[in-house]
Amino acid sequence: MKKESPSTLTNELSIQILEQIPTPVMAVDKDLKITYLNASGRALLAKDISEIGGVSCKDAFCTSHCGTKECRMLHAMETGKRASSRNEATIQNKKIPIEYTAVPLYNDKQELVGGLEFIIDITNQVINEEKLKEQSRTIREISTPAIKLWDGIVILPVVGVIDSLRAQQMMNAMLAKIMETSAKVIILDIQGVVAVDTAVANHLIKITKATKLMGCKCIISGISPAVAQTIVQLGVDLGDVNTNSTLSDALKEAFIMLKITVSDSAL
Amino acid sequence: MDTSLAEEEFVSSSSIIDLSLSSDNTSAVIVTHQIAKEIGFSDQDQTLLAVVSSELSTNILRYAQKGKVTINTIQKNTQKGIEIIAEDNGPGIENIEMALSEHYSTGDGLGLGLPSVKRIMDEFSIQSIKNKGTIIITRKWKKNSRL
Repeated sequence: MKKESPSTLTNELSIQILEQIPTPVMAVDKDLKITYLNASGRALLAKDISEIGGVSCKDAFCTSHCGTKECRMLHAMETGKRASSRNEATIQNKKIPIEYTAVPLYNDKQELVGGLEFIIDITNQVINEEKLKEQSRTIREISTPAIKLWDGIVILPVVGVIDSLRAQQMMNAMLAKIMETSAKVIILDIQGVVAVDTAVANHLIKITKATKLMGCKCIISGISPAVAQTIVQLGVDLGDVNTNSTLSDALKEAFIMLKITVSDSAL
Repeated sequence: MDTSLAEEEFVSSSSIIDLSLSSDNTSAVIVTHQIAKEIGFSDQDQTLLAVVSSELSTNILRYAQKGKVTINTIQKNTQKGIEIIAEDNGPGIENIEMALSEHYSTGDGLGLGLPSVKRIMDEFSIQSIKNKGTIIITRKWKKNSRL
């Protein structure tokens, strides 16, 4: 049986197809000199084929991978496999975030002759990611409220996951509120916290110490059975920290500490 | 008797979480909690597994600045389990033995994270090359409920 070629296309037709692709496609030789760049690639560089033919691709795109081991084109030619990565190109002093995929090219004798690269402009994607990060930052900032619950009592309900940045924000919010309200007892309610790991436990201990320095007692409430067991499993010693299982227990304790009597006679 | 399947393990689903921001820790914790719940781990184990993810991702963010955590649902015969893999290209762990001992930390941590992870999980392996990175593979199997 005659071996079939994967396509019946002529060379010109293949070039035409490449030219129509709405994203830059570039071919380089083994020395990373440009041998071909399609229409959208030339539009991106705002250059003619005569200006870039034979130019090193690193001089055309000036990415952060160029000339380093990170270059996926070198990687593709070395391993014979497709390689892709995110990168940033600098074209006419403008930084453009891109994602590129490199594949090796062989001649009919299966000898390596260079590589083909597909480049996607991901500017919009990066902008959206930044927006998302910004949003999550905003949510985190509004998610550490310190509320004055009673004369001398401040409560800080914590929900979700505590990471080091958030723990720092919590500490700041608490200390500022203590200063502002001259609170004597602060309750840190962690009922809504998904996981208390060693780093979080460490932060809780630090927060307690810092509040103590400001002349304020700290009660940690809302320790669920799972969290209690986890802390034991982790081997964290919360020895000095005043803990309670529920917020109402913590409030009762705060009342006792401040010698406040609350009666239900009004009802 | 068919023993050829005895050791067959496979991954049935996989979630990858890229870590670069301090808040990415949150995704690792929440995804792990969710997957552990889907597999059918107890409430206590769900929390412990979330803590394992949290410890590993916190370590990456603290020491390597960026990396990734992969959470796989795994199966061996009829037994289901969870596989948590933490990878980074950071500075590496100089002394693994010390890092796995309690109350040892090169940072300002409590030095309880890694030893706890090892204790919580059923399988634990760690590979670290100086200035190349670290990979930690851990697994926990769900206890098969028997009569």
